[in-house]
Amino acid sequence: MVPHSMPPDRLTATFSALADPTRRAILARLVSGEASVTALAEPFEMSLPAISKHLKVLERAGLIVRSRDAQWRPCRLKAAPLKDVADWLEHYRHFWEQSLDRLEDHLRDVQRKEKRLGRGKQH
Amino acid sequence: MDAESSTDLELVVTRIIDAPRRLVFQAWTDPEQVARWWGPQGFVTTYSDMNIRPGGAFRLCMRSPTGTDHWKRGTYREIVEPERIVFTFAWEDADGNPGHELLTTVTFAEHGARTRLTLHQAAFETAERCDDHRGGWTSCFERFAEYMTTARMT
Repeated sequence: MVPHSMPPDRLTATFSALADPTRRAILARLVSGEASVTALAEPFEMSLPAISKHLKVLERAGLIVRSRDAQWRPCRLKAAPLKDVADWLEHYRHFWEQSLDRLEDHLRDVQRKEKRLGRGKQH
Repeated sequence: MDAESSTDLELVVTRIIDAPRRLVFQAWTDPEQVARWWGPQGFVTTYSDMNIRPGGAFRLCMRSPTGTDHWKRGTYREIVEPERIVFTFAWEDADGNPGHELLTTVTFAEHGARTRLTLHQAAFETAERCDDHRGGWTSCFERFAEYMTTARMT
């Protein structure tokens, strides 16, 4: 129920890998299929080494894999860690839904009290 | 996927609350009231320090029905009476270090005599409040959501 009871280590690694707009854009590009480093670098005003650095971070976090077979070593998305993040956020949904249930109860009390004190709106 | 539902790394919760907007907003911005409802069923707020103004910090402890303490903390970014509150939000680990921070936006809209409350929680907007980023990020995860749906079907 409480979000931080989720396993934190892998999540932390995933979050720090995702906490960068370039890396998220790279992942978004990989959603439509594997791509070479050169192709991934194209939309950015960034050197190939800079892009490679980002790819290493993503690879370490298990968000992408790089093929050993082909010489151009294409990158491919691995969605499992993203699914963990999505599940983690879902826990927040339960947290908020239950809080809002209690908020509704609380506001019913507040309005009953206001009415009793005659401060409620007349219409 | 419609606009009211969440994309995979954003959370959107909408609720029509049977109370006027003024009261709903107060329930979010009066520390004494917040302590009464913020948390799952059966949880009790045992510590609360809330500085409800832009830039102000908050820290609360909720105790679970089994007696475990959970600390949450954050910083208010915007307090726009009576329509919007924006704050960061993170759980603390056992050593008191905050975990991943989420940016939470709560909007209060009049819905007849009632209030439509919308809660939006985003995983990665805290560092980039800039609206320019928003479109790209959202569409990125719409595509991711599509991808996950396809992946599940195969």
